[in-house]
Amino acid sequence: MILTIFKKDLKLFFADKKGALVTFALPILLISLFAFAFGGVGGNRTAKPVQLLVVDSDLTKDSKELLLNLEALKGVKTVTKEKATAIELIIKGKYVGVLIVEKGFQDSVALGKKLPLELKYDAAREMEIGMLQSVLMQNLMTTVGKKMIQANIAASFDTKFPAAPKNIKEKAMRIMSADQAGAYSIMGKNTMEMKMTSVIKEDSKKENLGLIQAVAGTAIMMLLFSIAGIGGGLLDEKEAGTLKRLLYAPVNPTDILFGKMLAALVLSILQLTIMFVFSWIAFGLPIFKDLTALILMIITTAFAVSSFGIFLVSIAKSRQQLQGYSTIIIMLMSAIGGSMIPLFVMPEIMQKIAVISVNYWGIQGFYDIFWRSLSLSQILPKMGILVAIGLAMTLISIRLFKKNVLKMI
Amino acid sequence: MIEVTNLSKSFGKLHAVKNLSFSIKKGEVFGLLGPNGAGKSTAIHMMSTILSSDQGTIHIDGYDIKTASSICKTRIGVVPQEISLYDDFTAYENLLFWGQLYKIPSKELKERIASILELIGLSDRKNDLIKTYSGGMKRRINIASAILHKPKILFMDEPTVGVDPQSRNRIFEIVESLNKLGMTIVYTTHYMEEVERLCNRIAIIDDGKIVAQGTQSELQKESNVKETVEITFQTISANQGKKLKEAFPSIVQKNQVVTIVCDANKELSAIISLCNSEQLLIEDLKLNKVNLETIFLNLTGKQLRD
Repeated sequence: MILTIFKKDLKLFFADKKGALVTFALPILLISLFAFAFGGVGGNRTAKPVQLLVVDSDLTKDSKELLLNLEALKGVKTVTKEKATAIELIIKGKYVGVLIVEKGFQDSVALGKKLPLELKYDAAREMEIGMLQSVLMQNLMTTVGKKMIQANIAASFDTKFPAAPKNIKEKAMRIMSADQAGAYSIMGKNTMEMKMTSVIKEDSKKENLGLIQAVAGTAIMMLLFSIAGIGGGLLDEKEAGTLKRLLYAPVNPTDILFGKMLAALVLSILQLTIMFVFSWIAFGLPIFKDLTALILMIITTAFAVSSFGIFLVSIAKSRQQLQGYSTIIIMLMSAIGGSMIPLFVMPEIMQKIAVISVNYWGIQGFYDIFWRSLSLSQILPKMGILVAIGLAMTLISIRLFKKNVLKMI
Repeated sequence: MIEVTNLSKSFGKLHAVKNLSFSIKKGEVFGLLGPNGAGKSTAIHMMSTILSSDQGTIHIDGYDIKTASSICKTRIGVVPQEISLYDDFTAYENLLFWGQLYKIPSKELKERIASILELIGLSDRKNDLIKTYSGGMKRRINIASAILHKPKILFMDEPTVGVDPQSRNRIFEIVESLNKLGMTIVYTTHYMEEVERLCNRIAIIDDGKIVAQGTQSELQKESNVKETVEITFQTISANQGKKLKEAFPSIVQKNQVVTIVCDANKELSAIISLCNSEQLLIEDLKLNKVNLETIFLNLTGKQLRD
């Protein structure tokens, strides 16, 4: 008896192709994605070099040598830019940081003084910054370390033995240089350090980064699920016969879709608003930092997401089918777009693929407001892309709605 | 009021409707009678503009539905086979919503809702959620939703499916009231007793085609089905059978059972008197009246509820 029931249940399970797909194919896809993101799987398995902007304001032999040595490193790829441009690119999240070699670099090396070097960086990319800092310090030590140590020893010897003959001084310097620890101790504290500055404004506390990721990532993913559910009401109406009754009335079929979309949009705005207000009350997310930008971002994200939800409904022919499609598509899009894993921990290729998802543009937009503190005009392009996604999805949905939903009657 | 000419519709290889032609006059209750899958609902879908035909024309109140579907939609009301209502709305909210789709001014709509609720006998339940209604009550609201805009023509697609006899009678009364108000009604069903009670004219539809159409007496004439009396005797001798045959030439005898084609109202007493005088003991007597069921059977060779 147990065997008979077991066989029946297996048969029923595999008869539902979509259910089987969700059970087996979706986990495989997600495992692959996470493996790409965390495990460095794929390609030649060597890490992609970190792209670092460089600004050489000194333009001396030493500064050029420093940057040439940096370029020669496997883990770093340098891109030369103007200082202002470089900072803007980092603020926009395009690059991890910029190494600025200020005027007087060579002179400081010659005198063994503190180096006028600054690394301005995007603190949102913590892991890359840590790696970069270590590589930069090593390169600095290799390129100018010896010169600086000798300069410091010479200065120290001159101070202590101003009347010593030249040959004695040279001999003493050879001995002192050989003693690495001693040589370093002669150098002033912080001489070989590099100034580190986050390009993000002071009022953006670092601990908000995780919060922004959690709120924006989760909010958009959950919104996609709820919109697919709301849109699914259209399929319920089809099954209940109310959609047919709507068509008997003097109503344009596309008006039915637009009405549903409007409801989905309003509910999306409401859901996102509630999530952000909750995050403000419960976790102190600074939602009033740029309220206009936040409101516009909520509206454009809601538009893109609700259109995407309606698109999912338009490709499905039944509630069951919608459930299968939406689970697969939303989970994948959320994984790719940064809802599940922050994008900055993903490999570069994954970060490039991320742009195909609605999640990416929404999350990055909220990052721009809360983390990067960009002005409204700087965030507008992302909002524009969200609107464009929404419009494209709407047009496709109209066509598919006529083809799939209305033809079924 | 409705003019249908050479209407055809296929779904892939299935020819759902084949060359349908009929006309319906103003104020008629026209029955489309046929078994499940005969093509009745497909015909209704095409006449109510939500399904395009492959061939043929439909004119509603003089307008071609292909070129003037918006005007046609305002002239018609449709009571669908399914209970197409929002379960989580009250009856009043449902009626308000469906009425608003026809752009009826708010005040007028509220008045109409009140009078229609009165007509269907559900005024006292108007603020209850539809999901708390019985099947029959839902069916009545289903009808009410279709007549708020006062359509000239009402299509009713099997409006009594799954309702109890009491609710069915109530629905019949509503149909009759609407017809008295001048509404032309197209009524599809596979219950011949509904057609017999409600319809002035009938089209019998089977396998997508109209097999016969007309009034019930016209259909009876066309089908050539006659009323019969079927008598089972305890015993009947050859001589007794001969005497019966002399009196009623249409008689058919099979063992102890004789079937006589006759007008039962006029001739039944004469038949029984003859049986008595011949000392024939009647075991069973059955009157086979002519109805749509027998006509349908005669015309199509099928039972209506096959």
